[in-house]
Amino acid sequence: MSASLVLIIVVATAYLATHLLYEWLAKRLLIVSGAEYLVLGVLLGPQVTGVIPVEAAESFGPIIVLGIGWIGLTVGMQFYIPRLVRISALTFRLAVVESLATLTIVGGALWWALPRLGLTSEFWAIVPALALAGIAVASTPAGLDIALRDRKRREPVVNQLETSLGVNAFVAIVVSGLLFAWVHRAPVNAMRPPTPTEWAVITVGVGVLGGTLFHLFLGEERQVDRLVVSLGGAVILASGAAAYLNVSPVLATLVIGIVLVNTSRGRDELRTVLASAERPFYYVLLLLAGLSWRPTTSWTVIAVILLYLVTRTTTKVFGTRVTTAWNGATPQLGRDWGKALIGQGRLTVALALDYARRPELPIGDVVFTAALASVLLTEFAAARLVRAALLPIVEPLRDLAQRLPWMDEETGEHPVGTAAEPGEVFTPDAKGASTLLGPATPDDEERR
Amino acid sequence: MRRVIVLGLLYLLMQAVLPLGEGTAAALVLMAFGFLILGAYSVGELAASIRLPKIVGYLVAGLAVGPAALNFVSEPVMKQLAPVSQLAIALIAFLAGAELQLDEVRERGKLLLKLMTAELTVSFIGIVVVLVSLHGFLPALEGAPVTEVLGFSILFASVAVVHSPAVTMALLSESGAKGVVARTTLGVVLLADVAVVLSFSGALALVRFLVPPTGGAEIGVLSVVWEIGGAILVGALLGAVVALYLRFIRRELFIFAILVAFFGSELARVVHVETLLTLLMAGFVAENAGGGGGEQLRHAMERAGAPIFVVFFALAGAQIKPDAVMTLWPLAVPLVLVRAFGIWAGSQIGARWAKAEPEAGRYMWMGLISQAGVAIGLASVMASVYPQRGEELQTLFLATLTVNQTLGPIMFRLALLRSGEIPPDGASRGPTSGGH
Repeated sequence: MSASLVLIIVVATAYLATHLLYEWLAKRLLIVSGAEYLVLGVLLGPQVTGVIPVEAAESFGPIIVLGIGWIGLTVGMQFYIPRLVRISALTFRLAVVESLATLTIVGGALWWALPRLGLTSEFWAIVPALALAGIAVASTPAGLDIALRDRKRREPVVNQLETSLGVNAFVAIVVSGLLFAWVHRAPVNAMRPPTPTEWAVITVGVGVLGGTLFHLFLGEERQVDRLVVSLGGAVILASGAAAYLNVSPVLATLVIGIVLVNTSRGRDELRTVLASAERPFYYVLLLLAGLSWRPTTSWTVIAVILLYLVTRTTTKVFGTRVTTAWNGATPQLGRDWGKALIGQGRLTVALALDYARRPELPIGDVVFTAALASVLLTEFAAARLVRAALLPIVEPLRDLAQRLPWMDEETGEHPVGTAAEPGEVFTPDAKGASTLLGPATPDDEERR
Repeated sequence: MRRVIVLGLLYLLMQAVLPLGEGTAAALVLMAFGFLILGAYSVGELAASIRLPKIVGYLVAGLAVGPAALNFVSEPVMKQLAPVSQLAIALIAFLAGAELQLDEVRERGKLLLKLMTAELTVSFIGIVVVLVSLHGFLPALEGAPVTEVLGFSILFASVAVVHSPAVTMALLSESGAKGVVARTTLGVVLLADVAVVLSFSGALALVRFLVPPTGGAEIGVLSVVWEIGGAILVGALLGAVVALYLRFIRRELFIFAILVAFFGSELARVVHVETLLTLLMAGFVAENAGGGGGEQLRHAMERAGAPIFVVFFALAGAQIKPDAVMTLWPLAVPLVLVRAFGIWAGSQIGARWAKAEPEAGRYMWMGLISQAGVAIGLASVMASVYPQRGEELQTLFLATLTVNQTLGPIMFRLALLRSGEIPPDGASRGPTSGGH
């Protein structure tokens, strides 16, 4: 049977099984779907059964690039500036500090360890260390989505998590993109090879120019059916151009996403189109990642994985705890919100694949293995981790709501028209619970 | 127009950065694929604004970026993009099959059969006569014995009579026409597709007997029977599975639609059955046994396939060879005219024989001019069986196809306009390509 046919059958069966069985389990047991595709890929790939041979797996390269680009665009579409400016400085500060702390600590630890484990030279260790550090910053939003089950909540901890997820994704992609610009091979045909700074500018330039041109191209288009065609073409073209230039497709499309979401009037329709294909792309990426993965039992690689997992988890959990306490935000956010950032998913896989598909970069296999091991170990539990982080903060609020009859029991918010003062959100307790709801936003004004 | 300007800027931008890249061929293909989607989409919109079918725009865009002009989409890139065309053909065939309602087949089956038989027969005879008469213009047949000339003329005519379900479906979807002319044309085109596959297989067997191939690919009679019969069987099974899914699950149709087309196309390739017929049958069974879910699936397929259709037609445009038309015009032009006349005359005879509605007799022939898809595939088979003569006949066929493919959509739209099945302002209901 042909490799393509096997892949189609597997994707179809797995995808439908996910919907019929796994979605049911996810809702009841709070399990995030995805890692099973990775395992499936490994089982079908050349490493285990060989149902799909190496050559067939390699021929899916364009799909990988397209999937990576699609994920970048989806991330970019989160950065709608008018919404971002409504987020408090404290929220941003905590998110940025958490991201940079993870980047520094994981990167530093790996930079120290990699040459000592004999995996790279001292000189080259910075490259995989930085790549893994960038990947370590990324966290999956799937846990939050499943834990909240589509119910919009307005607690500060939820806002903090959403902001942190966005900032983490941004930092992870930028680090990865700059890294590829830094270690870019000189093109054979160029009269003068561009410098790393120029490559970085070229990467961002592809995004800015692409985003601007696509904005002009889309114009006032709002019909989803038409947007499928033009947005599909735009992502394919931009990802292909970035891949052809050997720069980061995910950074280029991230910039395109940022430009489009801030300039296009049909941003909601664009998000709808992107969301409709994001999950299937992710599953295909996971499957292809599994196919090209060569798991190893080498103790040095296992040591790298352990170091990556331990430093990352420690920084996410304890780093956020320290930073939150330092900023006096523990009463609003609780001590454990960093737990909700442990899960890794689609962006991690995309960044790891982007690194591993470049033969010129050192220890691609090790970087890939560490990232995929993290996804395998953390994604299943992502929703439970989010719940563990939210419960200490959200449940007391719900109890409070039940004790105060004029509050909405489900959301913990006051009913429309019962605000204490115009321009303020309901403040049940001037000392503590008032800050749980955060300052009034234009959305709150609209609702009133 | 704004989109075309943006596209020009994009093209210049790409030309500026290309020297900096040394990426893989796959990256270049991906870039070309994206550009082709945007380019064809834009030119399609432009065509619609001047009341031409969008498909003409897609074809023109393909011609502009293809090997005949800018060569941005070169021959190797087109080969790499072949799976896109296969997927498009699968989607088109499934959608075409799903358009056939069992009740309508029962009610109008005989009428369609008569119309098809008459128009295929008359145009077939016309093409054979022209090619036999003018074979001196074709170097491969110059000075050949009469039996060989007759054999190859029959083989060529069995390919040249074919229509284009893709173009027909695309135009009907774009315009939303559902009247007598639209339904009759679609029915004849779909039936003719099956008939042409069968008649081509017969013609190939006959020519093999008259002129045994040397060094070409061997195709046995049993394999031809299996290709057709197997396609019906495999298609029915696939359609039954899809129908079960539509009855009991009916979720995630967007992804399911793509998977069905991919799976059906790959399955047909693996078990060596005719792809078009397999998917046509699958669509027919799914629609008529799917418990009312067929329409939802059709809509999902149209949406999921929109970028694929755009590229499919653009690739068809890129295959157009203006130089071949220029070289072979003394033969190509009479063939095009005779085929068109044959379709017209055959339609008149068929309409009287079948006692069809007057509009169908008057306008249907204009919807049968287009050629694409399966015709190119059959011409390739001809070239593979007879590497030298077949290739020359294939070039001649592509020359006639160039003209038919360009004029066909315009003619069909005109037919729908004249019959009053689409409003004269040319407003189309669908997206870019809407769905085909």
